[in-house]
Amino acid sequence: MPGKKLETLAGVIDAKMNRQLKLYLDICARCAICRDACHQYVTTQDVRYLPAYRAELIRRIYKKYFTKTGQFVPSLYEGRDPDENLLEELYDVMYACTGCRRCMYYCPYSIDTTWIQSVGKAMLLAAGKGSEMLTQLADAAIDKGKNIDLYKDIMRDVLKTAEKEMQDKVGDKEAHFPYDKEGANVLYAALAGTHSILPAAIIFHMAKEDWTLSMFEAANYGYFLGDAAKAKEIAGRIIDEAKKLKVKEVVVSECGHAHRVFKFFYEMWAKEKLPFKVSSILDKVSEYITDGRISVDPGKIDIPVTYHDPCQVGRNYGLFEEPRAVVKEICSDFREMTPNRAKNWCCGGGGGLVAEPALEEFRKTTGKLKVDQIRDTGAKMVVSPCENCRLQLDTLNEHYKMDIEITSMIDLVVRALKT
Amino acid sequence: MDLFSFTIAGLMVYAALAVFFIGMTYRICHWFSTPKASIRLGMFPKPKTRSGRWLKMLKDTILFPQALDVDPTMWFMAIAFHVAGLLIFFGHLRLIKEFTPIVSALGSKGMDTLAFVTGGTFGIVITVVVIYYLFRRFASPYKDISVPEDYLLLILILLVITMGNHLRFFGDVHVADYRAYVQSVLLFRPSFDAALAHSSIRWSLVAHVFLANILLMYFPFSKLTHTVGAFLANLVRSD
Ligand code: HEM
Ligand code: SF4
Ligand code: SF4
Repeated sequence: MPGKKLETLAGVIDAKMNRQLKLYLDICARCAICRDACHQYVTTQDVRYLPAYRAELIRRIYKKYFTKTGQFVPSLYEGRDPDENLLEELYDVMYACTGCRRCMYYCPYSIDTTWIQSVGKAMLLAAGKGSEMLTQLADAAIDKGKNIDLYKDIMRDVLKTAEKEMQDKVGDKEAHFPYDKEGANVLYAALAGTHSILPAAIIFHMAKEDWTLSMFEAANYGYFLGDAAKAKEIAGRIIDEAKKLKVKEVVVSECGHAHRVFKFFYEMWAKEKLPFKVSSILDKVSEYITDGRISVDPGKIDIPVTYHDPCQVGRNYGLFEEPRAVVKEICSDFREMTPNRAKNWCCGGGGGLVAEPALEEFRKTTGKLKVDQIRDTGAKMVVSPCENCRLQLDTLNEHYKMDIEITSMIDLVVRALKT
Repeated sequence: MDLFSFTIAGLMVYAALAVFFIGMTYRICHWFSTPKASIRLGMFPKPKTRSGRWLKMLKDTILFPQALDVDPTMWFMAIAFHVAGLLIFFGHLRLIKEFTPIVSALGSKGMDTLAFVTGGTFGIVITVVVIYYLFRRFASPYKDISVPEDYLLLILILLVITMGNHLRFFGDVHVADYRAYVQSVLLFRPSFDAALAHSSIRWSLVAHVFLANILLMYFPFSKLTHTVGAFLANLVRSD
């Protein structure tokens, strides 16, 4: 690779520089306490997945290009160029990370390895070597945003059956899915597929919520890809819709990363303050139950049930007790996994890994800790309020013949809902 | 003072202190002049109040309780290393000014015994831990994430400590003479008094000071800036 190109690629670090990143790059003691925090390192024992090693790939470029001592004696830090070899390694390592931030939890300096790795993804994109699968998915979503009128009727058609199911469940022939409703309280951003729409619609209906359904799915492959511009455009479709409809609140479906994008990242990317509230459907469900707007049959489910704290719901958003309270109310035999809450193991499917067929074997291997954790509880059902986790748990369930049922929070609530 | 000692234990000390303080100031200013990302990416559970966040940051930095959970050996070693290091640092303050309250409580003999026992113990503890750190770096997976800086620092620290231990266990010079030397440095007239100048142990002292100078000069450019950075980074955790 010519020197000029190497410099341009290294320049990505400088372009993405901020105080956190600088601290993280400067102070890591390479003590490797983060070693046993990462499920991928623990299950593979491959050093490339050791969080400090992942960070070191970027740090070595940073040292060589952006620090005085590193420019002077690069070998002191094993300073490196972002050449073909390094990019290849970056690809394998950065697109494998699930973004669970368990390494950050245990690091004595709270170094956020995902923050460092986002620079690695940006570097890969600058070199034209981003994940193809994720790029395709992201582009398709952007495309849909541009041609939304073509999709509207198809979507309403597809949802007719689901609408009918809702009417049967709530016993009201006049109950409809609201679309494009101006001035609604809530704009609900669901996922592709009725499984994330129907139960939510039933809950909204029973809670007498003034809501409307977004035309777009909340999932954001641009975020997984590490492409802030694309990610912003994808999320922007729903943001624009919400502004146009003048809703008070955008409620994101049970999808950890999508919620994270709306709640935390969008404002940074767009450099604007959103004129509405962003919350998760989990927030709403707890709120409705606490306020008595919906009620559930206590102890409706009596098989042993456990709850998986999705990383983007627990550690990275702070919902630990609220979803538990709901599950405990509905399920009479509730069992905790060990560890749980902030220390919970990642399922192994986050970060867009479930969208990448090439990583399926890797997901099975690295999900082993989750499998053991679930088996140890003896639970027959796992509640997981994150689509990514559920897809991964489905894979694990089948591969390891776990014979468990995996369910979303809204499904669970609807099963126990008093109508 | 001979010219060699004067250069190393005199002039170079000033140079080292200058590099250390200017370097650290530069590093810290550099951190603070780099804008924060406009996003609060703290990790939960996190305290709701500002003072709560600061307290958690102090606890996370000084005790790092999470590491005890995942890697008790490392936690223990790290605490031993840093506590011993801190106490050794405080012990050195006696060379600037005698701890008179302790002397009046214990008598000057008692003070010497106390210094010998504590200084000796922590000197040995820290040596053991540094040797453990160093050996660990030659084993997988640690060696795969280590860079020459890591070995260099550990070797430097080990050498500083070894020379320090040498002074403590084999020296025949009393603390008052060392204090006279430190005082002379502080008054910008570096010199050894007669007892020190005539003892062969002064070569160990010069070596100890030389190595410490190098460590100080490299400090602001190394991962040892975690001394300050750890507090700042842990604050981001609770942001
Ligand atoms: C408030 C100040 C400090 C805090 C909170 C702190 C904290 C830590 C922590 C958590 C580690 C990682 C665990 C480990 O590797 O043992 C570490 C490593 C280390 N610290 Fe500190 N430290 C501080 C000051 C210092 C100072 C003043 C030195 C000066 C010599 C120092 C030297 C080291 C070294 C050499 C290591 C790496 C050991 C290795 O190579 O594995 N630290 N520090
Ligand atoms: S635990 Fe933190 S300081 Fe230690 S090696 Fe990992 S990232 Fe670096
Ligand atoms: S965020 Fe999770 S998957 Fe990524 S390096 Fe850290 S522990 Fe491993």
